[in-house]
Amino acid sequence: MKQMILRGEDITKSFPGCMEPVLDHIHLAVYRGDFTIVMGPSGAGKSTLLYALSGMDVISEGRVIYKEQEITRLKEAQMARLRSREFGFVFQQTHLVSNLTLFENVAVAGYLNSATSGRKTEERASGLLSQMNVEGARNRMPRQASGGEAQRAAIARAMINEPGILFADEPTGALNRRNTDEVLSLLTALNQKGQSILMVTHDVRAAIRGNRILYLEDGKILDEMALPSFIPEAAREREEKVSAWLTSLAW
Amino acid sequence: MEIKTLWKANLKRHAGSVCGVCFLLLLVSASLATVLTVWNNSGRYVRQEMARLGYGDLTAWVSGLPDPGPLSDEIAALEDVQSVGTQQLIFSEYEIGEQESDSEGQLITYDPAQTPYKIFREDLSGYEAGPAEIAPGEIYVSPSMISMFVLTIGDTITFPIARSGVDKTFVVKGYFEDPFMGSSMIGMKGFLICQLDHDEITEMIVNAGNDGLARSGHMLHIFQTEESSLSAAQWNAALNQNTSLPHYVEFTHSQAAISGFMLTLQNVFTAFLLAFAAILAAVSLVVLGHSMGSAIEQDYVNMGILKTMGFTSRKLREIQLLQYLTGIIPGLAGGLLLALPAARVICQMTVATTGLLMPSNLPAGLCLLALAILLLLLVGFLWLKTGRIRRISPIQAIRDGADSPFAVKGGKSLLRQKGLGFWLALRQLLTGRKRYLGAGLVALLLVFFASMIGRVDAWLGSKGEGLMDAFNPADLHIAAQPMGEATIENVEQVIREYTGIADQYMLAMPSVSAQGVDYTANVITQPERFHLLMGRTCENPDQVVLTEFTAADLGVSIGDAITLTGNLGSREFTVSGIYQCANDMGANLGLSREGYNRISAEGENIWCTHYFLEDESLQPEVMKALEDAFGGDVYLHENSWPGLYGILSAMRLLTIFLYVIVLVFVLATTLLTASRLLAAEQKDFGIFKTIGFTGRQLRFSFALRFGIAAFLGSALGTALSAFLTDPLAAALMRMEGISNFSSHPSVSAVLLPGAVVVLAFVLFAYLAAKRINKIPLSVLADE
Repeated sequence: MKQMILRGEDITKSFPGCMEPVLDHIHLAVYRGDFTIVMGPSGAGKSTLLYALSGMDVISEGRVIYKEQEITRLKEAQMARLRSREFGFVFQQTHLVSNLTLFENVAVAGYLNSATSGRKTEERASGLLSQMNVEGARNRMPRQASGGEAQRAAIARAMINEPGILFADEPTGALNRRNTDEVLSLLTALNQKGQSILMVTHDVRAAIRGNRILYLEDGKILDEMALPSFIPEAAREREEKVSAWLTSLAW
Repeated sequence: MEIKTLWKANLKRHAGSVCGVCFLLLLVSASLATVLTVWNNSGRYVRQEMARLGYGDLTAWVSGLPDPGPLSDEIAALEDVQSVGTQQLIFSEYEIGEQESDSEGQLITYDPAQTPYKIFREDLSGYEAGPAEIAPGEIYVSPSMISMFVLTIGDTITFPIARSGVDKTFVVKGYFEDPFMGSSMIGMKGFLICQLDHDEITEMIVNAGNDGLARSGHMLHIFQTEESSLSAAQWNAALNQNTSLPHYVEFTHSQAAISGFMLTLQNVFTAFLLAFAAILAAVSLVVLGHSMGSAIEQDYVNMGILKTMGFTSRKLREIQLLQYLTGIIPGLAGGLLLALPAARVICQMTVATTGLLMPSNLPAGLCLLALAILLLLLVGFLWLKTGRIRRISPIQAIRDGADSPFAVKGGKSLLRQKGLGFWLALRQLLTGRKRYLGAGLVALLLVFFASMIGRVDAWLGSKGEGLMDAFNPADLHIAAQPMGEATIENVEQVIREYTGIADQYMLAMPSVSAQGVDYTANVITQPERFHLLMGRTCENPDQVVLTEFTAADLGVSIGDAITLTGNLGSREFTVSGIYQCANDMGANLGLSREGYNRISAEGENIWCTHYFLEDESLQPEVMKALEDAFGGDVYLHENSWPGLYGILSAMRLLTIFLYVIVLVFVLATTLLTASRLLAAEQKDFGIFKTIGFTGRQLRFSFALRFGIAAFLGSALGTALSAFLTDPLAAALMRMEGISNFSSHPSVSAVLLPGAVVVLAFVLFAYLAAKRINKIPLSVLADE
């Protein structure tokens, strides 16, 4: 039996001046250890759903519950603590703090967690940067690093506090093919070690890394597909299967 | 047309900066124009009023002369003299409530036909028509008596005319403007009375005979011919040598010296304010330079695009300049307008201290010239700053943005878990140090200036000790000069009932002439007590010490010989040293008693005994006991004088005003810098929030960046002020005859300006960063 980690109930998001809601009464559960993918055409509300579930954006109706705690009611300081200790974020643009080095970008997130000593945070940041293969660029500023290095550093930063769930919004959207493969391999490896991931993508090659794919259109989840755990050898077969499913949904 | 379109767009985009620049320049322009107005108008007004009232190029106060006519004729016959006018008066001490004057007052007979003094309205806001004549028993006084003695209309003033209680008491009817003795910086004070009262007092003096305390006298207003090329000192010497004036004269002052006395306060304050306006102008340059640099960075990509469209660097620079001129010119013009009420308020506020209601109309030519120079300076500076636009490569700008050419370097991590907010602030400050240079420089300049004011305040002391030391030739706790039957032994007996006498010396202040020019001589029984600046004191009878002013006036220095003349004749003296005494604007000299006896016989009651008490804290009680015991029979004074309180109040007001302006400038600088940084770092703040920082933590860290930059600037400003402020303040003070300026501020006084500036930067930056709270995380999703 899978353990539910994040739950969205009746999530609705409207923007002023728009007749139709971007998210329309969505019910959704995310399970521990899953690599959940949200797919859909442009404008479907994928990123909006991700930001709603992660508490980055305010929803118009409904509620979001993380580990039995309703996060839509949290105050700023409580939400900040939750983001620091439980949530990790990776964006399409790398979104590293521009005036900190890659190492500092990773470490600063770790320092916020008072349960870990500064020394341990630094060791862990170095370890993560090595694991992400960006140790050599640790003292570079974000603008001095390549897109792939910066994105891998961003993943390291997201992982520094061993989050309960990692939110990824099109993490390979701005990368070339080689860097895309590297980043996806990293995310897969993290998931295989037990990391829960909720990722938004419109790229089938990225989507096949997940074990559960949700299809979103016009603010509603139209369908979902379950997959076995990813193994590189079965990549082509999974890609065909997912493509066929998407075609059936008029993708 | 294209310039107009871009100018409008830029104005919209940088509206906050343009408004900030406008506000800064408004302050600079207003301060500069106000100071220039006060400085220009006060000097011109005093000279104009003295001329209108018929005061001469040189005024001699004479006594013991029933009819001044023959002496006037004698003087008028001299080649360099154009005419001589006279004003009759009575010299007398005076008492207001329980306070005794420490200088003689001069009861001048009111004669509006000859000397049309201006009479103030009761609230001192302007003038009213003067009375045709003053009623008997009524008196008009200078408004500076308000700050000196808290004297108001309806109060009484008593003039002791003769011993044994022969007094004349007047009721204050109103205030008159006295451009000659009206300032609280001048001890002697003029009073207007009617002819009947004058005649009554004259009769009382005659009847008192040897018991008389008051004396009849005259002011002789002597005008120099236009052709005369003699300096004031040379002319004074010529009058002394060629007429019988020395037999009757009490003292003489040139119009320039009187004008100097009258304007001492204004000159010191306007000099400080002018220096402050210059500092503000420098601060504005720093802020404008920083703002311009940030604006170019912000518009870097756009400028690259505009270059690809065919805009030349020159045109882009002109657009930037135009954008800033849109803030600068209204700021300067607005400041000029603001100076009108500001000057009016200052002129109104200072009436009770200066005794003058100075005109507040702006000297348009002078103000416009000063602002034109400032504008040229600003335009030149900004044009230089726009030079960076020439280096923008279109393709590089479009591809890399502004950061590329000014890329920062990474390095060893500075961040620490403990005190993360501070370390984060430090890290970001070091990374973007250029952006905080402005704040640091502004802090340096403001702290430097605030320190200078602080040091003047420290020198002045809580009770004005510094100023008193500058004016007194030697230190003292209490001084007593028996004028009647009481003896100095009686005085000492009263003192000893309270505390022992640690030491004492005697001082007299007769008039002597040096090289033919009249000076006040400080004659002392212990010459080693003089406040010596250079050389040695006048230990031997043939030695004299001079102030810097007198030495320069006579064109002599240490080792030179000068001739001093007294009532026994002339003798040669050697200048042994330079000492400090700002009395008579520094126009005085110091002699030992033995030295004085070589040229003059000691007159009756000339000696004032100065005491040092064993327990100085009992000084107020001792003074009270002496006043109760001897009344007017013993002239008493301490290391203070009534005008001091007005000066201290004015100094405190000036300090508060300058600190307020410092805070306003810190606020403007912070807002201008912070708004740019917040706009540039909006995304970074969003990122910080996603990793768990609260808005409050980010605001605090942001404010700390300013705090650290301001701390570095303040530390440098404090260090520089330690070396430079005393010499600078001393240079300003020297112009007023105070040549021993040396402050000894406490550690807290030294650190206060820096602490205030740093705290202000932190506080204002924290407040300005409030918008961090409102930055939505969706800012990261928008791309």
